[in-house]
Amino acid sequence: MSTLDTHTAHHEEGSYFSGPPGMMAKIWQWASTVDHKKIGVMYLFAVLFMFFLGGMAAISVRYELLDPIRTTITETVDANTLDTVTTEVTTGESLKELLGAMGLAETLSGTQIYNRAFTLHGAIMVFMFIIPAIPAALGNFFLPIMLGAKDVAFPRLNLMSWYIYLFGCTFGVGSILLGGVDTGWTFYTPYSTTTDADHWRVVLMVLAAFILGFSSILTGLNFVVTVHKLRAPGMGWFDMPLMIWALYATSIIQVLATPVIGITLLLLMFERLMHIGIFDPALGGDPVLYQHFFWFYSHPVVYVMILPGMGIISEVLAVHSRKHIFGYRAIAFSSLGIAGVSFLVWGHHIFTAMGELAAILFSGLTFLVAIPTAIKIFNWIATLYKSSIVINTPMLYALMFLFTFSIGGLTGLPLATLATDLHLHDSYYVVAHFHYVMMGGTVIAFMSGLHHWWPKMFGKMYNEPGAMLATVIVFFGFNLTFFTQFFLGTQGMPRRYANYVDEFQFLHQLSTYGSLLLLLGFLIHLAVFVHSLFAGAKAPANPWGGLTLEWECTSPPIEHNFHHEPLVTHGPYDFDKVVPPHWDPKDYPLPENPSSH
Amino acid sequence: MMPTLASAQPDILQEIIFGDKPAPSEAAAWSDGLFLMITWFSIFSFIVVMALMVYFVIKYRRRPGVPAQPSPHHNLHIEILWTVIPSSSMLVMFIYGFQGYAAKVVSPDDALELKIRGAKWSWVATYPNGARSNEYQPLSYQEEVNEATMTTTVRQGKDYPIFYVPENTDVKLRMMSTDVIHSFWIPEYRTKMDVVPNRYTGFNFRTPALTTNDIVNYTDENGVVTEIVGRDMWAFCAEYCGDDHSRMAATIRIVPQEVYDQRMDAWGETLSPEEEGRKLWNQVCKTCHQIDGTRLVGPTWNSVKNADGQFGFGYEAALADGSSVMRDDNYYRESILDPNAKIVNGFAPAMVSYQGILSDEDIDNLIAFIKTLSDRNPNAGEDAESDAEADTQSTESETEEAGSDS
Repeated sequence: MSTLDTHTAHHEEGSYFSGPPGMMAKIWQWASTVDHKKIGVMYLFAVLFMFFLGGMAAISVRYELLDPIRTTITETVDANTLDTVTTEVTTGESLKELLGAMGLAETLSGTQIYNRAFTLHGAIMVFMFIIPAIPAALGNFFLPIMLGAKDVAFPRLNLMSWYIYLFGCTFGVGSILLGGVDTGWTFYTPYSTTTDADHWRVVLMVLAAFILGFSSILTGLNFVVTVHKLRAPGMGWFDMPLMIWALYATSIIQVLATPVIGITLLLLMFERLMHIGIFDPALGGDPVLYQHFFWFYSHPVVYVMILPGMGIISEVLAVHSRKHIFGYRAIAFSSLGIAGVSFLVWGHHIFTAMGELAAILFSGLTFLVAIPTAIKIFNWIATLYKSSIVINTPMLYALMFLFTFSIGGLTGLPLATLATDLHLHDSYYVVAHFHYVMMGGTVIAFMSGLHHWWPKMFGKMYNEPGAMLATVIVFFGFNLTFFTQFFLGTQGMPRRYANYVDEFQFLHQLSTYGSLLLLLGFLIHLAVFVHSLFAGAKAPANPWGGLTLEWECTSPPIEHNFHHEPLVTHGPYDFDKVVPPHWDPKDYPLPENPSSH
Repeated sequence: MMPTLASAQPDILQEIIFGDKPAPSEAAAWSDGLFLMITWFSIFSFIVVMALMVYFVIKYRRRPGVPAQPSPHHNLHIEILWTVIPSSSMLVMFIYGFQGYAAKVVSPDDALELKIRGAKWSWVATYPNGARSNEYQPLSYQEEVNEATMTTTVRQGKDYPIFYVPENTDVKLRMMSTDVIHSFWIPEYRTKMDVVPNRYTGFNFRTPALTTNDIVNYTDENGVVTEIVGRDMWAFCAEYCGDDHSRMAATIRIVPQEVYDQRMDAWGETLSPEEEGRKLWNQVCKTCHQIDGTRLVGPTWNSVKNADGQFGFGYEAALADGSSVMRDDNYYRESILDPNAKIVNGFAPAMVSYQGILSDEDIDNLIAFIKTLSDRNPNAGEDAESDAEADTQSTESETEEAGSDS
């Protein structure tokens, strides 16, 4: 996308993060900024911190599952006196022993500690990491730039979303510091309205989810308006990068679905604090009603998590293989299709608690949502045909996404099929499936996008061999951790169990070793990022040869992104027709007979 | 029913996926076959997609100075093809899935009805004659005898109830919960259904004919272990229900009809009130109330004085509101029917009411059993005041945690 302004040399002004001198002035400048890039970067560090917290909770969960809880009774007959000496030892409460050694949580039982650990893992990862990760961090930074705009449509509202997010996180972390919550991140009633009845922890955690919802709604609203109103001159709807289409579909879901969870959590609070019977049968309510309300939000939100990831994959695959994306319209419309159908399939989370007719209807509708996803996979593979593929960290993660996300998608088929779901529902098979989708999909795509745009965001290159090593370790660690869990599930291991029968121990141990490998991979990534920030080589404006508008800016971009409003004269993926900005035609040969469409 | 890919003799893939035990019923085998069919379809699709990806990555790797070759940006025919093929495959899965579902939830008219009640954190099965199972065994049990050092090491999990069902019979489960939502899962039957308060749910399964290979260990009242014909399978709670969710399980034991009948006669027999009470405690109360002084979610039932205070029938209970009350018949009755009316100091109001779940006779029997656990005589109370007052001074409030008395 060439702009009217192709000479940036005489415009060497400061990047967006060069602020006034003085520590306090800098802090105030960031805290009061309405610049979408600064807000995006603040979101990025916040979600990465939350990813770390949630990851630590996950490692605790895996640590506890190394051993089941067992009582070992040893009877020894003393050879001299012929007396029988009996000793009884309880083992397997690993977390309790660990915390006990640290002098913590002495009044809690081993299973209670485990229940808190998996709840924290779920609640942090879902509400504070994965929902805001791509839209609020990378989306905030790149949506306006990719549209050729100076900022989002409502910059002050954007700052407010960030503070609401922080406020919500404070409640969540506060609830953890007070001792944690044991409801599961799903807050199923009547357990969540009755557990821990004399304490505020559950209320705080529910409030956190409620508040974070508002942050999500406002960001979504901002993005929808930005996409409608602030596209650069010459950019029609079908000239938008697919990342924008994905974020647009995501924002629509956020705006339409999130209010439902707000209302639901409010009802839950009414019941818990004022004993108004809505969900608890003891008060005249219906416990399954909560699950309908909850999943009416939380299923569409699964696509809030994955759609932006799909957008990243479309960008990364096209840029790093120098190929026009195959089936642009099919991918764009399948994003909207997924957003639409996502509102009709919530019932598949409740197959074991609903009537036969409803179960059959939801099973049929659920299969519908698989089709646009399959189409996207085929389109991405077809994009690679006759391309020019370079293997680097973003591309490696994108290819890994195709691998893990395909497994995640395909293992969803037996869950949509009623007969087999009755077996697999609430088992480790489900745990493995949604980790393949959420982690193997969203987190892997997030890592891909983070490396793809890291030079643009911070103006520094990262260490490519180091990052690729970490990527390979993450790949093996991920598959070892979660592929084993499919077999645990089919063999009968229920989810959310601190304890299990002996038959499952081998697979659980494999899974735990995998999680440690995963941890190692992410720690290397952290080291690579820190190294890049402090000692990375200066990044060129367009290191990968991208054609979307963010690659026309300097790295890092100036405060207003562009010196002049860009004028869009070609599509985002016309790699066979256009030499990308800041590139020499010698380094970027074009085919002699470019395809016409 | 339509044939699927599962065979009576499990092949290696089936063993890796579902474990080495053959599916016990036609519906379960059919469900496995459907799973295998979908798995083969998935493996095939996955290999096609990944093979193409790897081939393209190698063949079209970047070479300096070589541009990407031109190719079309879309192709309507191929796009229609790869929309129609997945759609029609999924239609097949949907229809098969619906059929298998019907086989699991629709039961024949003459099925044996077993009532399953879920409560935090135990399962109780009630048989058509009103009897309840009174046998227990752990799901995991390893015994090692070292002759040289004369050491026996037993490594076992918690004891769970054993539910007997006769062989060659259709069994229909009628399930309800007394507190939060649970889910009853028998992995070998490949079926689970949520157990919801205030609503009946259920599913059905057909027990297989037993063969000579089906042997289980039967432990009688005296602890003597004998081998009998039977087949054991796990049942788990699959819906998260709180602290001991992962220790809420049972054994389903399929036995010959005559063993089942004999068990029904033994369990249906009327015992003395104290023995009935002990049986009820075993089935219903012991997950939260111990009788040996151990602190669980709720207070122990025997007469003991420890850091939490003084317990047992005939002793005063120090309450959370600062007052105290004599533990007599009416105190226990009230604590069963309206557990939150009087909360023992140091425990949380965690118990639900057993109104409508336990009959008046059940409550009488339980109180009779509780009386046997105390060293105070049943008419204690009038002259116990002074002792009880001294006792309450050592009571410490232990913050948060655990339930009401009874």
